[in-house]
Amino acid sequence: MKACIPSFALLVALAMPLFAAPTDRDAKVADFFSISEAPMPVGVDPQIGGIDTTPDGKIVAVFHHGQVALLDPQTGAWTIFAEGLHEPLGVLAEKDGTFLVMQRAELTRLRDADADGVADHYETVWDDFGMSGNYHEFAFGPARGPNGKLYVALNVASNGDSIRPEIRGEWSPIGVPREKFYTHWKQIAKQAGRMYSRVPWRGWVMEIDPATGRGAPVACGFRSPDGIGFDAAGRLLVDDNQGDWRGTNELFVVKHGGFHGHPASLVWRQGWNLGDPLHLTVDQLNQLRTPPAVYFPYGRYSNSPTQIVVIPKSPAWGPFGGQTLVGEMNSARLLRVMLEEVHGLWQGACATFLETPALKPGLHRMTFTGDTLWIGRTHLSWAGHEGIARVAPTGRVPFAVVDMKLTERGFRLEFSHPVSSVSLENLAHWTAQRFSYHYHAAYGSPEVDRKAVVPSEAVLANGGSSVELVFPDLKAGVVYDFDLAKIEAESGAKLLDHRIAYTVNRLK
Amino acid sequence: MKGTSLSGNRRECPSQRLASAARCPAFSATRMKLLIPASLVAIGSALALAQAPEPSQTPKPPRAIKLAMRDGLRFDPPRIAAQPGETLVFTLDNADSTHQPHNFIIARPGKRDAVVQQALALGERGPSSEFAPEGEDVLLHSALLAPEQTQKLTFRVPDEPGIYPYVCTFPGHGAAMYGALYVGVPMPALDADPHVPPATAQRYIVGEGRRPFTQRMFVPDAGPAAIVVALEGGQNFCWDAGQCRLRYVWSGAFIDATDHWKGNGKDLAKLPARPWWTAPRDAFPLRIGDVGGPAPAVKFLGYRLHKGLPEFHYRLEGVEVFEKIDAAPEGGISLTFRIPNPPGAIHLALPASDQGEWSSSVGTWTAGALTIPPGSAPSFTITLKPGASSPSTKK
Repeated sequence: MKACIPSFALLVALAMPLFAAPTDRDAKVADFFSISEAPMPVGVDPQIGGIDTTPDGKIVAVFHHGQVALLDPQTGAWTIFAEGLHEPLGVLAEKDGTFLVMQRAELTRLRDADADGVADHYETVWDDFGMSGNYHEFAFGPARGPNGKLYVALNVASNGDSIRPEIRGEWSPIGVPREKFYTHWKQIAKQAGRMYSRVPWRGWVMEIDPATGRGAPVACGFRSPDGIGFDAAGRLLVDDNQGDWRGTNELFVVKHGGFHGHPASLVWRQGWNLGDPLHLTVDQLNQLRTPPAVYFPYGRYSNSPTQIVVIPKSPAWGPFGGQTLVGEMNSARLLRVMLEEVHGLWQGACATFLETPALKPGLHRMTFTGDTLWIGRTHLSWAGHEGIARVAPTGRVPFAVVDMKLTERGFRLEFSHPVSSVSLENLAHWTAQRFSYHYHAAYGSPEVDRKAVVPSEAVLANGGSSVELVFPDLKAGVVYDFDLAKIEAESGAKLLDHRIAYTVNRLK
Repeated sequence: MKGTSLSGNRRECPSQRLASAARCPAFSATRMKLLIPASLVAIGSALALAQAPEPSQTPKPPRAIKLAMRDGLRFDPPRIAAQPGETLVFTLDNADSTHQPHNFIIARPGKRDAVVQQALALGERGPSSEFAPEGEDVLLHSALLAPEQTQKLTFRVPDEPGIYPYVCTFPGHGAAMYGALYVGVPMPALDADPHVPPATAQRYIVGEGRRPFTQRMFVPDAGPAAIVVALEGGQNFCWDAGQCRLRYVWSGAFIDATDHWKGNGKDLAKLPARPWWTAPRDAFPLRIGDVGGPAPAVKFLGYRLHKGLPEFHYRLEGVEVFEKIDAAPEGGISLTFRIPNPPGAIHLALPASDQGEWSSSVGTWTAGALTIPPGSAPSFTITLKPGASSPSTKK
């Protein structure tokens, strides 16, 4: 299967272990964020598919083997609330004491009807989607929208395997005939597509009305959208994993009715009449497609992005309050995302955040309880880890790039503390790697036409905490990736996390 | 199709398949050192001479060992026994269908973690050195194998007895993906072996013997939305939430989810025993009002646990049905239906077979079909007993 080779090569070329000098790094981070491990329930496989905070301040987590358990953060005691679910990958604690859990086959509401502390009603809220039985058909969410509706994202199938003899839902006739999935799998696996969507709503974001249990399609073009959530402004964001048609990990502002790049799911568009989407040209697909708002450069930022949550607006989180946080599976770090709309397209920056060995990789699901961030880990046989990390800000604000926006001549970076004027003098320290990604069927993409670009000017403003970087040859359709490791604050402090990359879809 | 074998002089660098060939310079001196089996033998011998008894005078022929990298970050086999001084020819096969690259490193005894840390410390140099650290802790390393790639490697087993760990040092894999080469020392029981990953010998019997117990899972011979239930007394059944009907019944241990839970769900859970009763594949048994015709439209609504036992809830052509399955006192299982407002007679197609025999407390039987007149029973129970061909009744 030659299709695997480019992915492998990319993985090799770009993978980056960042575990060197753990103790020093952990100690430095600990000045600003206290990281500790939460106790875990005994006898439960500690891989976390979902985590949330209940109205009374408990932590609810759903586990790989199907349990739902509640942690009292005061006592550290866990109680099992429900069992027997199938690969739950998301949970929402409701105000009425029920829990919504997305499992492989359905969105389920768990209710403790007899008030004995254990769920007895497992109510199917929504299961009106297809399952071919392929292992990669994960179901992610739900995220609650500002309108009270629920949003879930459905993974497409992987040609790492065929389909089950019995499926649920309609089979799309577009593509390799179903019989061949059983009789000639090895021969047709490649033709089926690296990832395929042959049962309804695979590769789609769906909106579910919790009152009626009705689901409606929102947008398609997704591949492995593990992260679905709303930002502080109420925008629906989805992140997706590098792979076929995904040059790297990508974050989308979901466009209602939009197509977000991975073609397999197009067959489920109403009135779709263009045949097998895998046979469309890149130009045709590009005309349909909503581009990513933010590319997460592979390796340095993310290998596999996860949940999307909003940092609380509180004194403890200081300038980061209200920002969007994204988890990461393969490395011990998080990402912050900053977005802006430029001439009708969303774009923006991602910045590494809290990169430190104590966090461990596998950072899958997150919830804030007050100011404490709880991060549940998983691996599901891929790279990752187990357990739950607790992150509590100490109230000290690290030197960080708080925000980044495009200007007419470059970028404006807002820092948490004034930047040293000495740092401004050496423009080479503000060098960006500029590159783009291929949009193609192959697995992943190299960083195309990668070039180091140095700003012609760095202009200080706003009492020293704002820097505008001027690039005379500013381009659209590229990523500007900055490693600001050498930049110092007036105090002499270095940036706690020093990478930030801006995706320019359009110029201002 | 398997990838190219990398045995012998490794002409092929995987990275060469990238558009940019610039990523390949690493096949230089450091790579060559350990890739030539002869030099390995030399290193091994030097070690042996320093601190081990005389090497065997009559060298054994090389022994072939197949070693696969499998889904779930596993080496298969997780342990290998070897004689001091013998020559092993490994055929490595990256059979991980989840498209993970893997390498294979044999380390000195006790140096597994050290080698994993050394590989991580390679930092930016990791990819170009295939995550294989240099230094004396590493006795053998493979190339970084792409999915479906294979490699042959010759290894002269050290003369010094001991437990030599092997590990994949691709970032993120080392903590989980390892095994042990036992050289001239006895192996403990697998489940008591600290040199293999803790889960190696772990079997997951769902519910760990608790009954009743309900689990949603990928199981054989059912749709992907299956539910399996362990009943008190040792009966178990599979109920298909996609079709809202009983699929099969077996007795004995509950499902073994080891393979399903070890990885990402690709492997189905296993039934420890053959079902003694299996429903016809495409026949939906329940009709309300009209008999016959196409299968009615069903919509699964969930289940309620009563002392751990689920009562399934679904709509059949708009009529609400509750179905609870329990162990029958006289053997077999009982299905109790509650249909609060049936708009007509209830019909159940329950053909007798040598798998099992049906009986009912109410209604009339006509050629393997049970009819219950409307209004006669707000709830009723039918019972299935193992028949002549059931494995549980055969001696």
